[in-house]
Amino acid sequence: MFEKYRKKSPWILHYNAGSCNGCDIEILASLSPKYDLERFGVVNTGNPKQSDIFLVTGPVTYRSRERLVELYTQMPEPKVVVAVGSCSCTGGVFRDMYNVEDRVDRYIPVDVYVAGCASSPELIIDGVVKALDILESKTKEMEFAKKLQNKPKIEDGIVSRKEMPRRVGENDEES
Amino acid sequence: MKKTIHIPLGSQHISLLEPVKFKFECENEKIIGVDSDVGFVHRGVERACTTKFKFDGVGYVVARVCGLCAITHSMTYTASIEKMLQTQIPLKAKYLRMLLLELDRIHSHMLCLSHVSENAGFEAIFMRIMGDRELIMEIQELITGNRVQFDFISIGGVNRDISSEHIKKVKEALKVVRSKVDGYIDEFTNNWSLSLKYKNIGVLSLDDAYRFNAIGPLARASGLKIDVRNEIDYLPYSEIGFEMQTSTGGDIHARNVVRLNEIVNSIQMCENILDALPEGEIQTKVKGKPDGEVLVRYEAPRGELAYYVKGGGKPMLDRVRIKTPTFASIPSFSHIFMGSQYADAPAILASFDPCLSCTAK
Amino acid sequence: MKKVESTLENIRDDIKKFYDYKVWHFITMNGVALDGERFEVQWIFSRYEAMDESVIYYTVTEYDKIIPSIEDIIPSSIISQREVVDMFGVKIDGSEAGLYLDADSLQMPLRGCGL
Repeated sequence: MFEKYRKKSPWILHYNAGSCNGCDIEILASLSPKYDLERFGVVNTGNPKQSDIFLVTGPVTYRSRERLVELYTQMPEPKVVVAVGSCSCTGGVFRDMYNVEDRVDRYIPVDVYVAGCASSPELIIDGVVKALDILESKTKEMEFAKKLQNKPKIEDGIVSRKEMPRRVGENDEES
Repeated sequence: MKKTIHIPLGSQHISLLEPVKFKFECENEKIIGVDSDVGFVHRGVERACTTKFKFDGVGYVVARVCGLCAITHSMTYTASIEKMLQTQIPLKAKYLRMLLLELDRIHSHMLCLSHVSENAGFEAIFMRIMGDRELIMEIQELITGNRVQFDFISIGGVNRDISSEHIKKVKEALKVVRSKVDGYIDEFTNNWSLSLKYKNIGVLSLDDAYRFNAIGPLARASGLKIDVRNEIDYLPYSEIGFEMQTSTGGDIHARNVVRLNEIVNSIQMCENILDALPEGEIQTKVKGKPDGEVLVRYEAPRGELAYYVKGGGKPMLDRVRIKTPTFASIPSFSHIFMGSQYADAPAILASFDPCLSCTAK
Repeated sequence: MKKVESTLENIRDDIKKFYDYKVWHFITMNGVALDGERFEVQWIFSRYEAMDESVIYYTVTEYDKIIPSIEDIIPSSIISQREVVDMFGVKIDGSEAGLYLDADSLQMPLRGCGL
């Protein structure tokens, strides 16, 4: 049941890994009545264990590295990471500053990159909608993996080949 | 047996926009000790200003210290360079700068008020204020071309002129905002459930405000008369009807009232600027390299912002020291937390309007 | 902007004599790298409700000298003292390092910088 409704109501988690606050207030603005990201069922939550989409802003500073990875690992699968703002995508103006790790994808895999300094709410909404599609395809992949592990169905004593789990080298033995 | 417990708030928390960590030492519900960690977003802007960028580009770099008060950062830096080069900028550029600075103050205060009410559990008013804040953001986009990082102020003037159609649109929008703000003043002063969460909570007395060098709305809510707009001469604030807003009480309610009154005053100032916008150029040519040392202050939405800039006649500066408002208020924050209830901590923190990106630079 | 020179030994007495907490507003403590092993420590004040009246107390010293703390005179100076400790790698009485920098970040980032 959760799989069914995950796409309808994804919860987002937001973490500032060292940005200038510009993108953070634009994320807040995109949740506000004019842009209304909540019409997609998106709810901003502070709890990583209940979230599906991870919005990261800012180049990763030395002190926020650990927290970023910790939050990412605490999120349940499937999860999508959206890097918001130029500095989280490439480092932007903060590139090569001494306490900065330049970009988010050095630490966690990023699925959607949203450009702009600061990213406008329209772009953020575009990014989140794209993230919804990725979330759905990731969910499907996970379900497919689950099917492979199922025990084969036996009807009238005949085992359907399609439903049997394939093992490595199984085909070679037959031939 | 140990009688106290430690409760952390942050670094990632639902009521926080930014990473900051407070470690409260609590006795039952009462906070008796505070330990703060503010260095999560330290990037190293001060060093980059003197090693990576030339002095004419630094104005756009320091704007990225903080997105909320971006324009005050570039304003203060530009004013210090202009002071070193002894440049006189055109009056129209000064007026346009003040217009944007006051618009920035309005939207920043509105964000703070919405956040305070959210942390008091009043989600409806949060959404209302955020919705109305968009009117100001639209004006800013209209005038500068960007919503948050304007890059509007350059050394010698401003980068974009304002057209007469824009003036008309801005005036209409300001009128709408003004009527909405009257509604908030009514809500924040008369709503019974909001006053439960705000009155007599997080109190800073006038004497403590002096002792801890409090600044901005935090100090003015305690009755301390500090507003840098009153103490500078490079922008003609006395011409456009600036009035210092103070209150007494020093609690969250008083801070909200000061912010609301400042919004009203800022709207008034913006209207005055648009009515009396002088004709003329918006840019002057600037020659020379900065030499010497200056200290320039300006009133950011959160309080006094100070730049100490030292140049040696080279394209690279020798030192850029950024003293941001929240950074200087952290000792008073810790003092206010002492003795209050843990359950009030998020509301008190939001009422400070902290900006950690500023703090850590 | 008025600059007043002092020495490391006298700075505490000077500031104690000068600082009236209802008249002067302490802005911040600051450091400026000079050539070689020297740097300038500054304590910046401004007067309440006056038109741009600021005073800078400063002293030129070496990096390995211990700088006296003024935390008991001005309680809010603690945070800027910690910043100077981090940025220049100097020692100030009672101020620990680690406000901004981690163990593996660049240490003493502003020492000798901008010259």
